[in-house]
Order: sequence, then C-alpha cells, then structure tokens
Amino acid sequence: MIEIKNVSLWLGDDFQVLKNVSTRFQKGRTTVICGPSGSGKSSLLRCINRLERFQKGEIIVDGLSVHDPKTDIYKLRENVGMVFQHFDLYPHMTALDNITLAPQKVRCLSRQTAESKALQLLERVGIMDKANSFPAQLSGGQQQRVAIARSLAMEPKIMLFDEPTSALDPEMIGEVLDVMIDLALEGMTMIVVTHEMGFAKKVAQEIIFMDHGEIVEAKNTSDFFNHPDHPRTRDFLNRILSHV
Amino acid sequence: MTFQLAVISLAGGIFFGVLLGLARISSRKYISCPATLYIHFFRSQPLILVIFWFYFFVPILFGKPMSAFISAIIGFIAFETAYFAEIIRGGIQSISKGQMQAAYATGMKHYQVMRYIVLPQALKNMLPSLMTQSIVLFQDTSLAYVIGLQEFLRRTSLVDSREVKSIELYLFSALVYLVICLTMSLFVRRFENKVHQGV
Repeated sequence: MIEIKNVSLWLGDDFQVLKNVSTRFQKGRTTVICGPSGSGKSSLLRCINRLERFQKGEIIVDGLSVHDPKTDIYKLRENVGMVFQHFDLYPHMTALDNITLAPQKVRCLSRQTAESKALQLLERVGIMDKANSFPAQLSGGQQQRVAIARSLAMEPKIMLFDEPTSALDPEMIGEVLDVMIDLALEGMTMIVVTHEMGFAKKVAQEIIFMDHGEIVEAKNTSDFFNHPDHPRTRDFLNRILSHV
Repeated sequence: MTFQLAVISLAGGIFFGVLLGLARISSRKYISCPATLYIHFFRSQPLILVIFWFYFFVPILFGKPMSAFISAIIGFIAFETAYFAEIIRGGIQSISKGQMQAAYATGMKHYQVMRYIVLPQALKNMLPSLMTQSIVLFQDTSLAYVIGLQEFLRRTSLVDSREVKSIELYLFSALVYLVICLTMSLFVRRFENKVHQGV
C-alpha cells in the first residue's frame, strides 16, 4: 500500500534528517514507529503526504508516486488522513464545521450530507454533544478526537498519526487511544508515531524503531518486544519500559 | 472631497495590500522579490514625494494631463498598499503553520486554505491595525493639498485668504480632524476589546 524506497531528506543544506530509509506498509495493518526525539519519525510520516519534500528516493502511496511532479498531490492527500501532535483544529470554527469543511470543499458534498456524516463521526469518537463547541472550549482529549473525526470525514484509506497523545494530560490519553484502537481493529491502514508501548502491544502488527534518521529495527510486534536484535533498540526499550 | 479621497484610497489600498501581502510571503522567488522591493521602496519614501511624483511623472508617462484628484488617488493607493501589505503579511504569519498543514493534509488547495482557514482569522487579528492605519490615511489626505486638490485643508486655507482669520479657521479644522479621528480611535478600542474577549 505504501512503499518507501531509499528516501533521504535534508533540512537546510547540511542537516540530514532521513538517511536512505526503505520500508513498506501493508493494507489493513497498523505499524507503530518509535524512537528517540529527533530520530526522523515525524519527518518520515510527513514525507508520505508531501508535507515535507524529500530530495532523494521514492515513495509510492496506493500506486501514486509522491515526488513525481505529475502526481496530483491533492488527490493523494484526500486518501491519506493525518492527525497531529497539537490537534491543529481551526479555532474560528465549531467542531462540526471543522469536520465538514474538507468534505464540502474537496469532495463537494452538500452541507446536509457532510453534517449528518460529521455527526455520526462525532458519535463514534464519543463527543456528539460537543458538535457546536469551539476548539477553545474543548479539552485536549476532546480536541484530538475532533481532529481524528476531521480526518476520517474524508474517508481516507490510510491514517497517519504523528504523536497523537504526546501533548495530552495523562488522564486524557486513554480516550484518544480507545478511538485509535477501534479504528485499527476495524482494519484501517495506520501508521502511528508514538511512545505508547501499551497501544503498540495491543494493536500494532509491526513496529519500527528509528534512530538518527535510520530504521534500526523493523519487526512484528512480539519479536520486537521479546527478541530485539539491536543494542540500541534494547537500550531504548529498557529506558521506555522501565517506567511502565 | 476628503472623505472621497480617504474611502477610495482605503478600498484600493486594502485590495492591493491583500494581493501584495500574499505575494510577499509567496514561496516563489519571482513573486516575492518584486513584492518585497515594492514594499521597501514605498515605505522608505515620504508620502508627499509620492504624491508629487504621480502628479508630475504619470502625465509625462501617458502623454496627457491627469486631474489632480485621480493622480492623488493613484498616489495614495500606491503608497498605502505598501503599508497595508505589511499589516496583512503580519496577520497571515500570525496564523499557526500547523493549522495550514492540517488543512493541506485533508486535500485542500492553497487558495482554499487561504480563503477558509487563514484569511478569516488573519483579518480578524489585524482589524485593529488596519483601522489605525485607516485613521492615519484619513489625516494624510490633507497632503493632497500640495497639488492643489481642494480637500478639507485646502478649502480652509482658501477661506482664510478671503476672511483673514487664520487662527480661528485652523483651530476649527484641527477640531474637525480631532473629532473624526478620536471617534474612529474610540471605535477601534471598542473593537479591540471585543476581539480580546472573543474566542
């Protein structure tokens, strides 16, 4: 479904964020990407829908080449939902309008159709009653659930999550993860950058560990936790799991 | 005349200011460079010189005389556009990049992101400075006096040459400017408070 071949990304002239990264993500599977901060996890995610332009290599998403100038990148993005660390809702619009904007403007749905679908999505993420609230009136967990609904409203084939719970208070992490777990169990293709190892153990089929712009280790979930090959992976797991 | 001058220049200045402001932050160098040059050029010129310029130079350029009113309007718009463009650039840059990326990620095009996400918020943020600049513009219209335009101050001086009551007349015109600008300032302050209270 997503094929990443020898991708290198530089920010500025001499800072290489991704070094010759290759991997593939299969349809209907959930992959968790973890690693220390600055390891290039988020950048890799952002290359997939060309929020970041990589200089070398190739990414194919659902048959479309991301870096090919002939590719209609807007078409590609319609099918790739993304959820951000800081939610990034549109603060001048209600939760409902946040969700219905893109379906109306990009998919050309009528207001009515878009709204009834948005209400279903809000029910699914458990905040039907907040439809007419503005982002500033919502808690972080609620905002992130609206953001997930906003992405799902475009009926994407792939969902990218960029540290969706890192900016949340601890007691709100669960409500967001619950929504994501449901989504994964329904068979959505998901790539999740996160440090929530509990989530990874529960729903991810595959885990990728990145460090210094490289993929150090990529394994199925039980192998990753039980038999990590690389010392850097073991080191990272020891540090991150010692608090659990 | 003063009001006509102010309103037309204001409308033109804001319209071209939005375009120029957007051009200034364009990622394409061949669009942003000329825009930046234009803004820097006009912001470093005194308004009175710009007015002279358009009054004397433009007729030569087109080979036919132009009315003082039209050339004043063009001069004001050309000058104010540069100032409005900077206000608009600031307003747009005050909107977080994250929101724009979130919007792009849903498949929206650049103009849609600007139209639905950035500009509605940016315009609201910059209304106070836009209105302040409008007050300045209103006062600056008095400079059109130098090319013989019969705006308010010119009228005052004409009456003065007939009646010879300089102090009273200029005090009166100062009072008129004061009342109008103070009213506008109060309005701006009201509005600022409202914006701050709002979400």
